[in-house]
Formats: sequence, C-alpha cells, structure tokens
Amino acid sequence: MSSVTVFLPGPLRQKVGNQPVLTVSGCTVREVIDALDSAYPGLRFQLCYESGELRPFVNIFLRRENIRYLQGLDTPVAPGEQVHIFPSVAGG
Amino acid sequence: MAEQHHYAPGTTVLALGTKRGLFLMTSRDREHWDIHPTALAGHRIFYAMLDQRAGCRLFAADNGDFFGNFIRYSDDWGQTWQEPKSGIQFPQDGGLSLKNIWVIEPGRLDAPETVYAGVDPASLWVSRDRGETWEPNEALLHHPTRERWEPGAGGLCLHTIVADRSNPDRMWIGISAVGCLRTDDGGQSWVFANKNTRAGFLPDIYPEFGQCIHRLVQHPTSPDVLYQQNHCGIYKSTNAGQDWIDIQQNLPSEFGFPIALDPHHPDTVYTIVEDPEGRHNFGTQFTVYRTMDGGASWEPRTKGLPEGEQVKLGVLRHGMCTDSHDPGGVYVGTNTGQLFGSQDGGDTWNLLADFLPSIYSVTATVLS
Repeated sequence: MSSVTVFLPGPLRQKVGNQPVLTVSGCTVREVIDALDSAYPGLRFQLCYESGELRPFVNIFLRRENIRYLQGLDTPVAPGEQVHIFPSVAGG
Repeated sequence: MAEQHHYAPGTTVLALGTKRGLFLMTSRDREHWDIHPTALAGHRIFYAMLDQRAGCRLFAADNGDFFGNFIRYSDDWGQTWQEPKSGIQFPQDGGLSLKNIWVIEPGRLDAPETVYAGVDPASLWVSRDRGETWEPNEALLHHPTRERWEPGAGGLCLHTIVADRSNPDRMWIGISAVGCLRTDDGGQSWVFANKNTRAGFLPDIYPEFGQCIHRLVQHPTSPDVLYQQNHCGIYKSTNAGQDWIDIQQNLPSEFGFPIALDPHHPDTVYTIVEDPEGRHNFGTQFTVYRTMDGGASWEPRTKGLPEGEQVKLGVLRHGMCTDSHDPGGVYVGTNTGQLFGSQDGGDTWNLLADFLPSIYSVTATVLS
C-alpha cells in the first residue's frame, strides 16, 4: 500500500488535531479517504455524501489536476504523491 | 479565552439562526437587549434552540457550505461546540444523503433526554441521550408513499415537529410539499392529516398528501387544536388534524410561512402573510397579523413596523416566535436582517437588532 501526503484545508483541521498535513496509505483517492476516515472518524462524511459521492463544493487535486477531470474517486494515487483538498471558491 | 456568561433566572434569551452565524440576544426587561456572537460565526444556521429541561444546552442545525451538515451543541452559551458522537447520517447503502438539517426540537418535559430533529430528505431523527447519538424513525423513512413525495422549492424538508404534550404516543410533523403526518403509536406508523387543506398547484387540489405545509403549532391547553400556515391557506384543526378549517378570513393572502401562538392566551395567534410572487410584505407596510378569537378574524398590527416604498421584508418559516411571559413577547426576524420585538402582544413593535445576516430562525427561552 502506497503512502501519500494529504494537505487539508483549515475547516477540516479541527478534526485532526489541527494538523495541516497527514500521511496515510491508499492506492486510489477513495482508499485515501477511507484511510483518513479510519484514522479520524467522520472525515469521510465531510468530504463525501453518505452515498459515497464527493460533495459538490469539495475539490481534490492530484498532480495539480482536479480529480473530477481524472477518474474521480477511482483516480490512482502513486506512492509519495501529494493530495490537496480545497473547498470551492463558491459564491463569487 | 472564551467569555463566561451567567444569566439570571427570568432572563429572556433569543437564539437567532442566520445565513452567516448564530447570535444570542439576552434581556432582563425585554426593553434593553444585549447581542452576543457565538463561536459559530459565519456558519449557516437554519435553526437553534435552547433546551433547559436537563441543564442548559444550546443546539444548532449547522448546514455548512462545503463540508457537510451537523447538529452541534454547546453547554457554555455558544462559546464552544461539540458534535454528537453519532450524528445524523443515512446508511451508506440506503440511497439517501443528508442535504440540510432544518429543525431541532426538545421532546416532552417528562423525557428530558429526548430531542428530535427534522431534515432533508424528509426524515425524523430521535436522540434519547441529549443529542449524543441519533437514529432515524424507520416507519417514516420507509413510508409506503415515500416514492411519490416531491420536494418543494426548499427541498423535501421535514421542518416542523410537534410532540403532543398530552399524549406520549402522538406527534405531528410537517413536510414541505407532502403535508402534515401524525403518529398515534409512538412513531410506529404515520397517517396523513391533510383533509380540507388545499394544494392549489396540483390538478387535484384536495389530495391525501402533496400539500405544502409551512409551519404547524399546537394549542397549549387544548391538545387537539392545531394551527398551520400553508402555501395555500391558513388552517385550524379542532380534532388533532383529522380535518382542517380554513381561517384565512380577512387576511390579504393565503400565502405565508411562520405562525406563532401566545401560550397564555391560546386563542391569540400571529401570522405574517406575503405576496406569493415577491415573497415579501404586500404593498408598503410590513405587517404582523393577529387573531384573538382563534382565527375568526385577523387584525393588522403595524405600530412600530416599517412602512415605505422600499419596504420589502420576508419572514421565513422559523422566523417568528413567542416567549413564555405574560403579557407575551413576539419576535420576528426578517430575511434582510432585522429583528423586531413586541412586548404587548403585537400592539407595538421595536427594532431590536439590525444589519444582521439574513435571519433563518428565532427561538425564545425564558430562563428558569
């Protein structure tokens, strides 16, 4: 299982002891989210609906690309890669 | 460091849920008010209420812009907040996803640990441990008509919960564009309670369900008497919702959202009706309407309320409430951030706060 670095936005850091960066394992974005939720229960619900779909105003970037334009939550993540999570610039 | 607040018994506390934050207002005499921001600054708070049946716990329905929807509670007047250990989330394989939490209501006085919540998609949630863990009411979640429920403009939201004070097995709920439902067996089954209420936007204007109820209140001493403001009318029931009587009478519109009742004078009811197109006051005068005879007639109450060509105020379904003083206080929050209050049953009004974010809800508690 590959180890990846996840950068969290401010509103999510409260759930993880105010850490801006976490290291977890996962071969896809979905597995990375699963790993985040295992370590910090409730994080998945903040990123995804109960149905598993990514929330509309949550953006996840891999290699500077929004995963929505890659393979969504099934986008592969290579060992050592960086995953960035951002809220959308919504409202203006 | 968070400011510590201590309020004397008799203090009136208003909880204002707004588009951008939760605010508390407090007063000893209901003339002079202090306003207190909370740590939920900037949060989208559909509803908040202070539950003082077992301690003094403030609940908030926090519908975030980005990262989900949460019930939160505070035991220090909003300075710090907790999330439930097991909050409102649908099963992952059930096909439903939480869109908004609309309302949180305390249960009955003899069950001080019980709290209810209503959400979109329409479902009733129950906590029996003061909000720490939540579970859905299964009978409503699997109601046989559910597949035919259609959302209103605000979604398929369960926005009103009335737990009968006189009967622990009876409860009413209101769901937009579905109507009123009642349980008589403690939530094991639900029946529609919409007879004689209109759905003017449907081919059959008197369907079994599909009516767009906006708000429902129960008479404090006659438990079979209910009042509802609906998309298509204002109604009274004298038989627990078996059927409804149109009490629009001389009101200038059938359309409105809030309705509130004076707990000491239960034939006194307040409503605000609106221009259904603009969803604000008719004409140039912002008006609260009051009946003192159980809906036989309505009086416009305007003294102290704004008038002018520019006055276009809307009030959402949870934007009006009464307090438990006698004579009673009435509070109205607008979608343009004004809070009006009356301490004489609506005869005269004062602007208690202005320049707030759009007000979604106002609840009043007199500290015991």
